[in-house]
Amino acid sequence: MIEVCELSKHHGHLHVLRGINLTVRQGEVAAVIGPSGGGKSTLLRCINGLEKFQAGSVRVGELSLKAGGTKSEQLRALRQRIGMVFQQFHLFPHLTVLENVLSGPLWAQGRTRAEAEPEALTLLERVGMRDKANVRPEQLSGGQQQRVAIARALAVHPEAILFDEPTSALDPRMAGEVLGVMSDLAKAGQTMIVVTHAMSFARRVAHTVHVMHEGTVAESGPPEQIFGAARTEVTRQFLHEAMRH
Amino acid sequence: MTEAPAPSSHFRRRLPLLAGLVLLFGSLSQTHAQADLPPLRWGGDAAGGAPFIYGPSTNRVGFEVELIAFLAKQIGRHPVFVQADWDTLPDTLQRGNIDIAMNGMEFVPEREQEFASTLPYFIYTLRLIVRTNDDSVKGWEDLKRQPGKPRLRVGVLRGSVAERYMRTKFGDDVEVIPTREVDETFQLVEGGERLDVTVQDSPAAAYYVEGGKLPQLKVVGEPVAPGYYIILTRKSDTELREALNGAIREAVRSGEIERIYRKYKLWSKEQEQLRLLVEKPWPPAPEDVPASVTAKLSLKSLRTALLRATGVTISLACLAMPLAILLGIGIAVGRLYGPWWVRTPLAVYVEILRGTPLLLQMYVLFFLVPMAARAIGWQPLISLVTLPAFAVGVLGLAFNYSAYESEIYRAGLQAIPRGQMEAALSLGMSRSKAIWHIILPQAVRLVVPPVTNDFIALFKDTSICSVILITDLTGLYYQNKYDREIALQLALVVGLLYLAMSYPLSLLARRLESQPLKVEG
Repeated sequence: MIEVCELSKHHGHLHVLRGINLTVRQGEVAAVIGPSGGGKSTLLRCINGLEKFQAGSVRVGELSLKAGGTKSEQLRALRQRIGMVFQQFHLFPHLTVLENVLSGPLWAQGRTRAEAEPEALTLLERVGMRDKANVRPEQLSGGQQQRVAIARALAVHPEAILFDEPTSALDPRMAGEVLGVMSDLAKAGQTMIVVTHAMSFARRVAHTVHVMHEGTVAESGPPEQIFGAARTEVTRQFLHEAMRH
Repeated sequence: MTEAPAPSSHFRRRLPLLAGLVLLFGSLSQTHAQADLPPLRWGGDAAGGAPFIYGPSTNRVGFEVELIAFLAKQIGRHPVFVQADWDTLPDTLQRGNIDIAMNGMEFVPEREQEFASTLPYFIYTLRLIVRTNDDSVKGWEDLKRQPGKPRLRVGVLRGSVAERYMRTKFGDDVEVIPTREVDETFQLVEGGERLDVTVQDSPAAAYYVEGGKLPQLKVVGEPVAPGYYIILTRKSDTELREALNGAIREAVRSGEIERIYRKYKLWSKEQEQLRLLVEKPWPPAPEDVPASVTAKLSLKSLRTALLRATGVTISLACLAMPLAILLGIGIAVGRLYGPWWVRTPLAVYVEILRGTPLLLQMYVLFFLVPMAARAIGWQPLISLVTLPAFAVGVLGLAFNYSAYESEIYRAGLQAIPRGQMEAALSLGMSRSKAIWHIILPQAVRLVVPPVTNDFIALFKDTSICSVILITDLTGLYYQNKYDREIALQLALVVGLLYLAMSYPLSLLARRLESQPLKVEG
């Protein structure tokens, strides 16, 4: 379970997050939507400690992040329980696809290659990239790279995975491949927080949808409520804009 | 009225200043009077030191300084000293930058083909100098190779008659190590780690050793291989040479030369012969010249030496560069990711090594560091820092280049997109694991072209090691260029060897540059 409590962050006078409260249960898929600049990506980056924040806390099971910094040991333990998938994939270009997936098990968890490799291949199978195990990322399409990145995140056995606009850099066909993999994960009971502009995915796959606007959560609820009977003007306005594009 | 004393005290303070100005103008006008005479540019090497030419550059003294002052006055010129490395004096004369070379230039019959010497002004011998507490060398015969013992290391001035004498007479018995300067050579013999004995011209032996300036050294054995110091002139300058000959004759006849030499404790009965020599024609007939000590050189006879020197150059470069890269990477990582107490000293290290000449750094490592250790006097420290010359060469190059490499790697590390570090951290890697496995390998690949370029530069910079007794290609050239018949060929061969080694590297660098490594971003 991930619990975000009264999380606030500001750069100087610019308040990026203003007291966010958010709970994601085991096995839940939470979609975070909202206009650009609303603090969605910053929220994800705070949850796994890539950004510091000034007030509030993040709790993952018994581990917690506090305002003003956390010990690196604690941070590492927490990050292994929360994977992250980036908009720009950030695969390691000097490593093969298989080595990318093995990087977490080998260098974060200290497992042996002999022990970790079969599982890594299984994960590649799962995202449909097994036949590319020995090529370098530069030879892959964007969609393929993102699927490898998902396998890489899964390899350290995280309890939850954070997706930071995973399909925004992809054309619709490639985005479809990636969303397909994410749907499969959701069906398998993977806990996920997905910041996305793919409304159909949020509607179809998410259990809960959070609408973020100007550093606050404007509205939370099941997809039927958000997309069918939005209670706030912010949601209605945003969806109206989003549907027009 | 309280202000009344002020003007007078003001004046009083001004007075010495005024007096100083008057003096200054006085001396200026004096120099001006001298400057009316045509200048006589005389080349010498003040670094060669006492008793020839020494003292602060503003007020040089030495028996040659006093002698040239006398000679110049005789011929109505005023002497202007031009500093040049001693072994380059003949070339400097030939280029026309100086009118005469006068600084312990030995009379070498072969040289008369290209230059013309004046009458001799000093008769020197070669002296053998050892450490005072060294009883194993009592004379020249003790230089012979002892079975089962390492060859003695003999320091001699590069390009001097002493060097040629030792190579010809003791070439198989001792290790001849050419040095650049007299005082530095004495220092190395005193230290004992790098040189066992030195062979010097008698004036240096008389002034430094017999004169008691260096109590740790003593002169042993008989004086050998007497020869003449002459003033070297261009062959075409007959008029100047004749004038100088007249002046030297006058100096000898009038007793001026004896007065000067006595002042510097250089007068010996050998010098009496000058009285006869200056009345005879010069240069002397070949049979009157003391047996020549010059060995004939050819490129062929240098083949093995050239091969060995090439090997030395390659080894210096190939050992120094990996060391420089390792140090450079460590420094770059420390400066980017370390705490302030790591970053600050590393920044200072880089700025010092980038901001001072490599030549100076070599001198510091080779001479000054052991000297400092001896001053401290703790034996383990002395042995630790008095490394063999080759090791000092490798380390000096490695330290110097590590500063440049660290900047290249720093740029390389910074060029890796931030997302790479974030992706690694988000997997739960520690910062150091992320740097080691993810960031560094990419940075290393990224900077291969500039590092290759630096390797080419280092290859050529190995030539600086010739100043610390290492016989690399450049050192070999300097040691043999006294033979003017092969100097040009040798320079060509050495140059071509450097080119043959660095050109493939620059081709490689160009290829690497045309295929930039892809990084994410």
